[in-house]
Amino acid sequence: MHDGKGGPGIGMLRRTLFLMAVCGIVSFAVLLVRLYHLQITEHDMYESLAVGQQLREAASSPERGTIYDRNELPLAISASVDNVYLSPVEIEMYGEDRELIARKLADILDLDQAELYEKSGRTGSWYVTAERKVEQEKAQEVRAFISDYGIHGVKLERDTKRYYPNGSLACHLLGFVGTDNSGLEGIEARYDDFLTGSSGKSLRETNAYGSDLLWGGYAAYIPGGEGCDLVTTIDATIQYYVEKHLSQAVEDYDILNGAGAIAMDVNTGAILAMASMDRYDPNRFLAVSPEVQARIDAAQSAEEKTELLRAAQTRQWRNKALSDTYEPGSTFKIITLSMALDCGAVRLTDGFYCPGHVSVIGRSSPIRCWKDGGHGSQTLTQAVQHSCNAAFVNIGTRVGAERFYEYCDAFGFLELSDDPDVNLTAQTGIDLAGESGSIWWSRNTFCSEKNLSQLAAASFGQTFTITPLQLITAVSACVNGGRLMRPYVVSEIRSGDGEILLRRESEQVRQVISEETSKTVRSILEQVVGDPTEGTGRNAAVAGYRIGGKTGTSEKVSLEAATGQKEYIVSFIGFAPADDPQIALLVFLDTPSNSTGIYISGGQMAAPVVGAMMADILPYLGVRPSLSGEEASRQDTAMPQLVGLSLEEAGQRLREAGLRYRSIGEGQTVTAQLPAALWQIARGTETILYLGEEISTEKESVPNLAGMRYNEARDTLSYYGLFLHTLTTLTDEQNAHVSTQSIRPGTAVSHGTVIEVVLVSDDESMLGKY
Amino acid sequence: MQYDSARLADFSVLNTRGKKAGFDQPFFTLVLILLGFGVVMVLSASFPRAYYDPGHVTGGSATYYFIRQLIFALLGVGAMLLCAALPMGFYRRYALPFMAFTLVLLALVPLIGVRANGSRRWLGVGSLTVQPSELAKLAVILLFSRMIQQRRGQMRSFRRGILPFSLILALIVGLLVLEPHFSASIIILAVGAAMLFMGGVPLGWFLAAIGSAAAAIGVLLVFFPYASSRIMIWRDPFSSPSDEGYQIVQSLYTIGSGGLGGVGLGGSRQKYLYLPEEHNDFIFSVLCEELGFLGAALVLLLFSLLILRGFQIALHQRDCFSFLVTAGLTTLLALQVFLNVAVVTNLLPCTGISLPFFSYGGTALILQLAQMGIILSASRDVLEG
Repeated sequence: MHDGKGGPGIGMLRRTLFLMAVCGIVSFAVLLVRLYHLQITEHDMYESLAVGQQLREAASSPERGTIYDRNELPLAISASVDNVYLSPVEIEMYGEDRELIARKLADILDLDQAELYEKSGRTGSWYVTAERKVEQEKAQEVRAFISDYGIHGVKLERDTKRYYPNGSLACHLLGFVGTDNSGLEGIEARYDDFLTGSSGKSLRETNAYGSDLLWGGYAAYIPGGEGCDLVTTIDATIQYYVEKHLSQAVEDYDILNGAGAIAMDVNTGAILAMASMDRYDPNRFLAVSPEVQARIDAAQSAEEKTELLRAAQTRQWRNKALSDTYEPGSTFKIITLSMALDCGAVRLTDGFYCPGHVSVIGRSSPIRCWKDGGHGSQTLTQAVQHSCNAAFVNIGTRVGAERFYEYCDAFGFLELSDDPDVNLTAQTGIDLAGESGSIWWSRNTFCSEKNLSQLAAASFGQTFTITPLQLITAVSACVNGGRLMRPYVVSEIRSGDGEILLRRESEQVRQVISEETSKTVRSILEQVVGDPTEGTGRNAAVAGYRIGGKTGTSEKVSLEAATGQKEYIVSFIGFAPADDPQIALLVFLDTPSNSTGIYISGGQMAAPVVGAMMADILPYLGVRPSLSGEEASRQDTAMPQLVGLSLEEAGQRLREAGLRYRSIGEGQTVTAQLPAALWQIARGTETILYLGEEISTEKESVPNLAGMRYNEARDTLSYYGLFLHTLTTLTDEQNAHVSTQSIRPGTAVSHGTVIEVVLVSDDESMLGKY
Repeated sequence: MQYDSARLADFSVLNTRGKKAGFDQPFFTLVLILLGFGVVMVLSASFPRAYYDPGHVTGGSATYYFIRQLIFALLGVGAMLLCAALPMGFYRRYALPFMAFTLVLLALVPLIGVRANGSRRWLGVGSLTVQPSELAKLAVILLFSRMIQQRRGQMRSFRRGILPFSLILALIVGLLVLEPHFSASIIILAVGAAMLFMGGVPLGWFLAAIGSAAAAIGVLLVFFPYASSRIMIWRDPFSSPSDEGYQIVQSLYTIGSGGLGGVGLGGSRQKYLYLPEEHNDFIFSVLCEELGFLGAALVLLLFSLLILRGFQIALHQRDCFSFLVTAGLTTLLALQVFLNVAVVTNLLPCTGISLPFFSYGGTALILQLAQMGIILSASRDVLEG
């Protein structure tokens, strides 16, 4: 150690001691103070911040509540499904076969393999949706695939899906639910808060990329509140009948712009059925009808396709019964009649004279009645039976504009405002999403003494627009004893465990007209339908039932002014039984085409539809028909069960049922029969009995029955081995002919098919726009 | 050769009869405790990253970093014992050539160094890499010790006592700035200053140096927006918790989550890829989370004892070179520990300084243990004297 002599000097040692103190003690004291501050003083803050980022919260959608009809039949239910997603990061991490994953998933879930392959390669992502809302069966297959191959990169998470077991039935009332489980239309939208419930939460600790810790991660499930169940006033059976006849009408009359119908409990305002055409399937609410899809596919550009699709979707989702407004036309005469009787402006004994036109103060040309030459002298009842415009202008004038407006306010058509210059509007306040409001002239315009043309036109239902729902609500008040009821759909809200949270009683808004007036209105309206010689609503008659009602044919005036085109909304509003009403039915058909050859009017088109609906619904409601012996002898009759009987015995049974037969084959025992047992067919039909022979399996082409008498149509059909039935009137069969048939002429059908027809009156004097 | 070959031969009995080897047992024991602690912490802190392998390094093997650190620790203990066996004269003799060798390497780094995160700090091929800046720390201590020993009594002179040292420091820092490597520059300047402080340079120079450093920092902040944004984040890391402030914010979450007793060894949540560098520069944060304030204080106490023991060994040296080397290496250790913990607790602005015995890193660990071996070598002279 050549220069290692001498240790460190005293100065050196002193300085080193200082350094030692700084490095070994002071610096550590500083660090400990800092750590104490972070770990003890601020521990809670940092811990909660850290936990906040470590916990992933997955909201699991709760079971959405069930929607029932009034007989507890489920209309909308929820079920558990799974969302299938890919984790490309893990696919890469474990070196999993993207090709295999894409092929298998495409196979199971019916997806595009190339797209899945692309998704599986999105490295850096832990979550790429493969398919949402996969049903249990398919999800099970995916699970099997995952465990068979030990796949890490394909995962499932729980979700719920909405099912509508009856398909499109009541679609517009129910609405539908979007992929995010929120209600988008109808009851689903309006009662979304109740149906949804509160979502459950699953909490789990994850790494920074969102996947689970290797072990020991905290996981918890906080259950959410289940959604509430709703019991509605809808009656699925009535809804079915209403939709069946409405869609048949749309086809029969070639309705261009859709149609709507409402069935209401006259006494409570409960909506028994509400239908709108075109329908859609809320299970697949984005899908449009094949014809519309074909039209969209034919479009040139992508934007055009998108636009067409969106327009078609908006159109099919629209609840016309609630969202459309229209000029009601002659159906509104019920309201004018009711107010006039109620305020004493007219009496049942008053006479009216119709010269075919009527002059109105403030109008340069007189208002024409729909009937050229006029109705002449008529009683009040006849004026309603004839739907005479001239008489109603007279009646409206007698009521007076001010009083007319006050009644309209009371009927819920408008809400009077302090400002006499604003246009007026109102809604019924039904518990459904999408209700439109009426539009009326301002009070000053309507009530001008120098110009009564608004009042005159309003008396027969023109120059204002209302919703179909407003009309049926007001008409129900006219016939139920004068009580305006608030229409409603949901009658009961129940919690997930069955506790009743809310039960809605029917709500009377106000008494509009007197009980006595209502009774008079009922009897007048019954004669509109029931009088086979004078009633313009006679095509709605159903033998054995007392039905009241009124036709309506409203021209789209503003459309004609703008384009010169004449388009009509034809409608009919009926109620039954006329002496003690239970149900009101409104049918409106928007723009029948000229192509069918059927005269366009409410009386010819809408009235038979309401009649057919009544014929199905009233027996269902337990209303017993009362038929005179002579009427009963004309009614359709049920085909008896004859197979196995001797020919003689069978003939006897048929005679008792009012039917005839022809036989095919040589045997003595009936081996087959046409039509099958229990079918309702026209009395006097020649049925076919097979004695050992087989029924031909060949198809038969349906003949055109339009214009035929009922018996003629019956015999024409049975010649081909086809049979006839009608739901509507046989009160005046001698003066009625076939208007439409349930199966179009030329359609190939099997032998024994029963074809339903609509009969209308021959009376040509009835043809008119009223 | 100045060292005693017979003493080197003693190496063979070091392991079996440690006491006879005669180096300082408390110091040796403290090193081994800290090292063992460190290796366990590497296992705990690193396995999530090793398992998830977001950087495609480990192939999903959860023990990837641990196994490597264990191997390096064993190699490092071997290096420590080897260095302990070598006599202090060996280090004095090779102080200058070692510095020359280090300078060559430092000069090579900007030219052929391995680039990472915008800097070239590493030399080597594949996984066998070394940071010449680590060598430079040792080289400065060894060379300065020798120079101070040679210039005793002249340290107050500018030409003999200050200028040559300053030039050497300036040269090294100049080369480090080329990489650039800010934290290493700071440590080398601080260690150099400590050496000169102990060597007897008048206090006025240090005041002047501190003053000019402050001025330099001021200039830096004005002209380099990068530096001033660093300061901003240091003052308020929560102003940008998702980008620049992310690392320090996550570190604070981690440390703060620990509380008094911690979440338990292995139980850290923050190491699940939230905290960057969790098995490296920020391993102390994971330790704080898992073992709490008590565990962190225990580790700091162990370090404190080690450092105090190191100074104690220095103060007992009869040879000026051995004294300075021991004190210098101990100061370096203290500096590293203090700066690392100060950074992860956001006491100082964020910069990359590893924690001795704990942070993952092979060559740095071996070198660290080798330095401990040099202190042990010095301790033997005391005990045998």
